[in-house]
Amino acid sequence: MGVTEARAYYDEAQGVLIVSGDWHAESLAALPVLPDSPSHIIDGAGVTQLDTNGAWMLLAAAGWQVSDPLPELRAFQPQHQAILELVARHSASTAMEPGPLHEGVLALTGRGTLAMGKHGLGLINFIGHLSTELIYLVSRPSQWRWREFGAQLNAVFVGAIPIVFGMLFLLGVVFAYLLGSQAQQYGANIFVVDGLLLAILREVSPVIVAVLIAGRTGAAITAQLGTMKVTEEIDAMTTLGLSPMAVLVIPRVLALLLALPLLVFIGDIAGIVGGMLVTHEQLDISYYVFMDRVADVLRLKTLLVGLFKAPIFAVFIALIACRMGLSVARDARSVGEHTTSTVVQCLVAIIILNAIFTVMFVRLDI
Amino acid sequence: MAEIVIDVRDVTISLGGHSIHRDLNMSVTRGEVIALIGGSGTGKSVLLREIIGLLKPDVGHIDLFGQSVLDSTPEQMNVLRRRFGVLFQDGALFSSLNVEDNVATPLFEHTQLAHGTCRQLARLKLDMAGLLPDAAKKRPSELSGGMRKRVALARALALDPELLFLDEPTSGLDPISARAFDTLIRLLADSLGLTVFLVTHDLDTLFSIIDRVIVLSEGRVLGSGTVTELKNIDDPWLSDYFAARAPEGVNAHGN
Repeated sequence: MGVTEARAYYDEAQGVLIVSGDWHAESLAALPVLPDSPSHIIDGAGVTQLDTNGAWMLLAAAGWQVSDPLPELRAFQPQHQAILELVARHSASTAMEPGPLHEGVLALTGRGTLAMGKHGLGLINFIGHLSTELIYLVSRPSQWRWREFGAQLNAVFVGAIPIVFGMLFLLGVVFAYLLGSQAQQYGANIFVVDGLLLAILREVSPVIVAVLIAGRTGAAITAQLGTMKVTEEIDAMTTLGLSPMAVLVIPRVLALLLALPLLVFIGDIAGIVGGMLVTHEQLDISYYVFMDRVADVLRLKTLLVGLFKAPIFAVFIALIACRMGLSVARDARSVGEHTTSTVVQCLVAIIILNAIFTVMFVRLDI
Repeated sequence: MAEIVIDVRDVTISLGGHSIHRDLNMSVTRGEVIALIGGSGTGKSVLLREIIGLLKPDVGHIDLFGQSVLDSTPEQMNVLRRRFGVLFQDGALFSSLNVEDNVATPLFEHTQLAHGTCRQLARLKLDMAGLLPDAAKKRPSELSGGMRKRVALARALALDPELLFLDEPTSGLDPISARAFDTLIRLLADSLGLTVFLVTHDLDTLFSIIDRVIVLSEGRVLGSGTVTELKNIDDPWLSDYFAARAPEGVNAHGN
C-alpha cells in the first residue's frame, strides 16, 4: 500500500476546492496552505482514502467553521461522504480555547503560600484525628498493633543503623580533621575533643540523623500509604472496621519515636569514634588521653540536648509522612508528588525546629 | 470472499506449566463484529494478547492483515500497530496526562502533525466517543468508570485503526452505561467500517451488537456462529451460560 500524499488546490475559476490522494493523519504533515476565504464546494473525485482524522483536516483546509452549513460535497465516494458528515457532526468541541496564561512570580508565590497554609491546616486536622484515636486506644491495650509496631521498628531502626553509623563516622572524621588543623596552630590540640563533642552530640548527630530518616523512612511511609490509597486498601480496611490510624499511623509514629533517639545515640558514638581515629593520627592524642578528656569535659546535658530533639523530629517526620500518604489522590502521579512533598516538608520542619531549639536553649542557659 | 483480517492457525501455548491453548484455529474477516466468550481461565485474554503481539505462542501462526505477527521485525510491528487499536479492561489511561493528551498521545508519537492539531483531533475522537468537551482537561482520576472507558475508546480510535480490540468493554459499568457503550461501539463500527474483536462476559452485548460469537473451551474453539446457532451446540458450559439470561432478549439483534 503506497502512501500518496494528500493534495488540495483551489480552482478560482469555478470556486471549487479540489482534493485528491490519501487523507489520513500520517500523510498530512500540516494543513495545505489555501486561500483564507472558506470554500463552499469541495470536489473529492480524486480522494483514494479518507479516515476521520483526514476528514477533519479536509474540512479545516476548506476553512469550514462549525457554525457554517457544511460545504457542498461533490463526487465523493459514498463511504467518504458518510465519514465527512459524521466528523462534521462531532466537530463542535474541537474549537480550541486559548491556552492557560503563564503565571508571573507574584501569582506563583501566592499559590505556593496558599498551598503551604493548606498543608499546615491539614496537618493540624490530622493531629486532631490522631489524638482522638490515641485517647480511644489508651483504654484498650488489646487493640494496639504490636506486631505492626515491631515490623516498623525493624524497618526504621535496624535497617538504618549502617547508613547512620557510616555517615556520622565520616562527619566525625571531617570535623576532627578541620578542628585539628586549626587547633594545631595554637597548640590547643586537646581542645579538639571539646569542640568535637559539642558539635556532634548537640547539633550534627540529631539533625543529620533526622534528615537521613526523613529521606529514607518518611519517603517510604508516604509512598507505601499512598499506594495503598490508590489500590483502595485503605478503604477496604475502613469498611472492615479497622481504623487506618490505629493499624497504620500509630505504629509508624511510635516506631519512629523510639527509633530516632536510638539512632541519634548510635550516631553520637560513630561521630566520636571517627574523631578519635583522626585525632590519634593527626594530633598524636592517644585513645586513652582522648577518652580521659571525654570523661572530663562531657556533661550529661550536652548529650541530653541532642537526644531531646530526636523524638520531636521523629514525631514531625512521622506525622507529615503519614498525612501526605493518606491524602494521595487516586493516581500514580499523585504518589510521586506527595512523596516529594513529604521530604521537603520534613526538611523544612527539621531546620525550623532546630533553629527554635538552639535559641531556646541559649536563652534558658542550657 | 472478504479479506481475512485476523488469522490464528494451530496456536499452542502453555503458561506456568498449564496448557492454555492446544491447536487453536480461528479467523475474522473484514467488517465483522466478533465476540470471544468462554469460561474463566479458558484463555480469552491470553488469545487477545497473543494476537496483538504482547505474548508469543509456543507453536503456531498468527497473521494480522495477512502479515505474520510472530515473524515481524520491530519496525514492521510498529507499522502494524498503527492499524489496530486496543481498549484495555481498566482503560489503562496514563494518569500523569489529562484526558485530551491521553487521546492525542498516539497522534503525537506517530504523525508529524502540530501538537495543536493533534489535540483538536483528540477532541473530535472524544466527541465521537460521547464525552462532553469539559472532560477534555480533566485528569483520569477525576472520571467515573464509564467515562474512563470512553476515553480509552477514544484513544484506541485516535489513529483511525481498521481493527479494534476490546477487552471486556462493558465490565464494571452499570447496565445503562453498558448498553450505551454497546450502541456506541456498533455505531462506530458501522460508520467507520471497523472490524471489532471483543472479549466479553456480557450476554446483553452478545444479543445486541455481535455478528458472530467464538466460544473457547478447553484450549480450543468449541464453536462459532450467531447466538442462535450456538444455542444448538450441546455443551454444559454453553447451556448454563445462556440459561443465565431470561429468554425474551433473543430478538434484539441488529445495528
